Amino acid sequence: MAKTLQERRAERQLMIVLLPSLLLLLAFVIYPAIYSVYLSFTNEALTGAAARAPRFVGSRNYARLFNDAKFWNALFVTFVFVLGSAIIGQFVLGLVSALALRRRLMFRTLFSSIILLPNAAPEVVAGFMWISMLAGGDHATLSRIVSFFGLPTADWLQVFPLTMIIVVNTWRGIATAMILLTAGLSTIPQEIYEAARMDGATPSQMFRRITVPLMMPTILLYMLISTVSTIAVFGLVYALTRGGPGGATELISIYIYNQSFTAYQLGYGAAVAVIALLVSLVLGVAYVRAAKVEI
Amino acid sequence: MKKTVFGGLCAILLGCASTFVQAETLRLANHGQAGIDAMKSTVERIEKKLGVKVEVVEYPAPDKDYLSKLLTELGAGNGPDLFSMPSTAAVADMVEAGYLAPITAEINAWEGYKNFYDVAKKLAVSPDGETYVMPYMLGIQEIYYRKDVLEKAGISTEQPKSWDDLLARAEEIKAKTGAYGLLFPAGVSWGSGAFDEGFQHLIVGSKTPQIVTDDGKLDLNGEGVKDVFNVYKTLIDKDLMPVQPLLGPEPWVIPKYEQFPAGKLVATTCGSWCYIFDWGRESKNPIPDVTKVVGTWTVPGQSGGQFVLANLAAPWAVNADSANVELAKKALLEIGSVETQVSYAARIGNIPASKDAASNPDFQKLTELVPIHAVAENGTFLKQAAGFGTVAEGVARATDALLRKEVDAAGAQKILVDYVKETLGDEAVK
Repeated sequence: MAKTLQERRAERQLMIVLLPSLLLLLAFVIYPAIYSVYLSFTNEALTGAAARAPRFVGSRNYARLFNDAKFWNALFVTFVFVLGSAIIGQFVLGLVSALALRRRLMFRTLFSSIILLPNAAPEVVAGFMWISMLAGGDHATLSRIVSFFGLPTADWLQVFPLTMIIVVNTWRGIATAMILLTAGLSTIPQEIYEAARMDGATPSQMFRRITVPLMMPTILLYMLISTVSTIAVFGLVYALTRGGPGGATELISIYIYNQSFTAYQLGYGAAVAVIALLVSLVLGVAYVRAAKVEI
Repeated sequence: MKKTVFGGLCAILLGCASTFVQAETLRLANHGQAGIDAMKSTVERIEKKLGVKVEVVEYPAPDKDYLSKLLTELGAGNGPDLFSMPSTAAVADMVEAGYLAPITAEINAWEGYKNFYDVAKKLAVSPDGETYVMPYMLGIQEIYYRKDVLEKAGISTEQPKSWDDLLARAEEIKAKTGAYGLLFPAGVSWGSGAFDEGFQHLIVGSKTPQIVTDDGKLDLNGEGVKDVFNVYKTLIDKDLMPVQPLLGPEPWVIPKYEQFPAGKLVATTCGSWCYIFDWGRESKNPIPDVTKVVGTWTVPGQSGGQFVLANLAAPWAVNADSANVELAKKALLEIGSVETQVSYAARIGNIPASKDAASNPDFQKLTELVPIHAVAENGTFLKQAAGFGTVAEGVARATDALLRKEVDAAGAQKILVDYVKETLGDEAVK
C-alpha cells in the first residue's frame, strides 16, 4: 500500500532527527572500525621504515596472531576476567544488593550510596587506591587485615594477580548491575508474589520460579552490556598491573595497547583489535538471540 | 552593512596576524618536571636571542608513555618543533620514519661542537652518516655496589675481572650477607631499561660485542647474545637478583629505592644520576655519605677487559615537519650550550658532553659528577641501527621469560630473534 503524504513526512522528520547521531556513529565508530580492518592488512607502524612507507602484507598479521602464544594467553585471561568479574562477581553481588534494597532496611539510602561510590572514583585513581591496599609489605591494608588474623601476608598483586583484578573489577561494577537489576525487579508485579505466598510458596521457590524467569530479559540484557564492556576494560587493570606479572593479567585490551603503543606495530595491533571486535560481536549476537529481543 | 563588512575584514586581518605570530612560535616537548626546570633558562635565552615565543609542552613523564605520545603525534603530522628522546635506541628508528631533520651541516659549523667528547659525536651519527640529534648529555653507566656492606662482610671490593669473577662475587655476597648480589634490569615492565641498563652492559664485553653487521642487519644469533642471557639465567636460578619486583608495574622501585639503600641488594647497574637522585641528596631514601659507601666497578668483559657504557641521555632533535625547521635548528644549538648541559646535569644527574663543562663553576659544584665527566670519553657503546627499538622490546620479552623461569638462555635468544623477525621481517636479521 502506498504511503500517505503524512507518513512520508514523518519518515523524513525521523531521518532528520536521526541524522546527527548517524553522522557521529559514522565518523567515530563505523569509519574507525573499517580503518582498523584496513590497517590490519598492512605493516603500518609508529616508527621505523614502516612508518614512512607502510605496505600491504595480506593476511600476515593474522597468521602471526594465530601462532602467537601471548595472544592466546590474552584471550584466555580476558575470558576468565569476564567470567569472574562480570558474569559471576558483579551479577551475583548486584542481584543480592538489588534484592536487599527492595526490603525495608535501616540505612537503605546509605547502603545504596555506598554501593554507588566505586563509580564516583576515576578508574586510574581507583586503580592506584587498590595498589596501596594490595601492595606487599606489612603496611598495606589487606596485609594488615590478614596479619590481624595471624595469616601470612603477601604482595597480592604479584601472587594472585588475576584474582585481584577480578575482585577490583567486581567492586567497580556492582553499582551498574544493581541499578539494572533493580529496574528489572520493579517490573515484576507484587500480586504474583502475594498469590504465591497464599499458595504456600517458600522464598526460595518464589525466587527460582518467579523472580528469575520474569527477570530473564533484564538479566540477559545486563549480561550483554557487562560482557562487552568488560572485554573493553583497560584503564583500571593497566593502572593496577600493566598486564603483569609476566602477562598474568594481560587482557586483550592491554595486549592491543602493548602491540600498538609499546611495540609500535599498529598493523598487528589492529589485527588483534579486529579479532576482539569479532569476539564481542559474536557474544552480543548470542545474547540477543537468547533474549529474543529485537534491536 | 558597512559595519558588518568592516568587522569581517578586521576578523580576517586578526586571524592572519595571529597565524603570523604562531609561525614564530616554537613548541618544545619535554617530559618530567626536572627536565622542564632544567630547560627554563635555555627557553628564556632562545626567546631573547631568536626573538621567538617558546611554548613548552609537558608530556607524560614515564619514558615509555612519553615516547608513545611523541611518536603518535609525529606520525599524525602534528608533533612539536623540538623534542627530546628518552633513549638512544629510539633515534635510528625515528630517522627511518622520517621524523627527524638532519642537522649535520649546522652542528659541524657550530663552534660549541668542537669541544664535545668524540664518544658523544660518534653516538650522534646515524647509520646513514648524518647527524640528527644534539648529543649534549651522556649517560655514563657502570656497576654501583655497597662498599660498606662488602667490607663489613669481608668480601673483596676489587674490580671483578670477568663475568665468572662477577658472578662468583654475587654468589659470595648472597652466601655471606643473605642479600641479593647483583641486579641487571630485566623484563617487560622495565621497558627499554632492560636493554639500555642491562643487556647492553654485557653484550659490549661478550664474544660478539656488536649486534649490527656492516650492511645494517641485526646479528642476534651470535654466541655473545646467548652468553648474555646465560648470565641473567645464572643470577635468576641462583637467586642472586630480585625477581618478583621485576615482574610488577614499577620494577625499579623496590630494588633500587628500597633494597639497595637498605643493603638488601648489594650491586646494581646504574648511571651517574644514581649518586644524586636514586641514593644521594635528591633521593627520598638517601644513603648517608653515598659517594663513600657506594663504589663503582666497570662492567667486566666475558673473559677480561673493562667497559663503561655510554649513551646519549635525552638527545634533542628537530621535527622534520616543523613549520620552521631553520629556526628550530638554531634553537637546538642553544640547547647544546654548556649552560644547558650544566643545568641538566644539576637536575637530572647526567654528564655534560662538552669538555668545557669541566671549567664551569656551577658544574664544579656537582662534586659527584666531576670525576665521572673527566673519564666520560672512555665510554663504550653499541653501533646504532634501525630496529634497535624492536631489539630493546625483544630483550625485554626474552628477559621476562627468564625471570619467569620459562626458558633457558637459548630459549630467551629464540624469543628475541623471533620477535625481531616477526616485527621487522626475516630480512632484518642476519
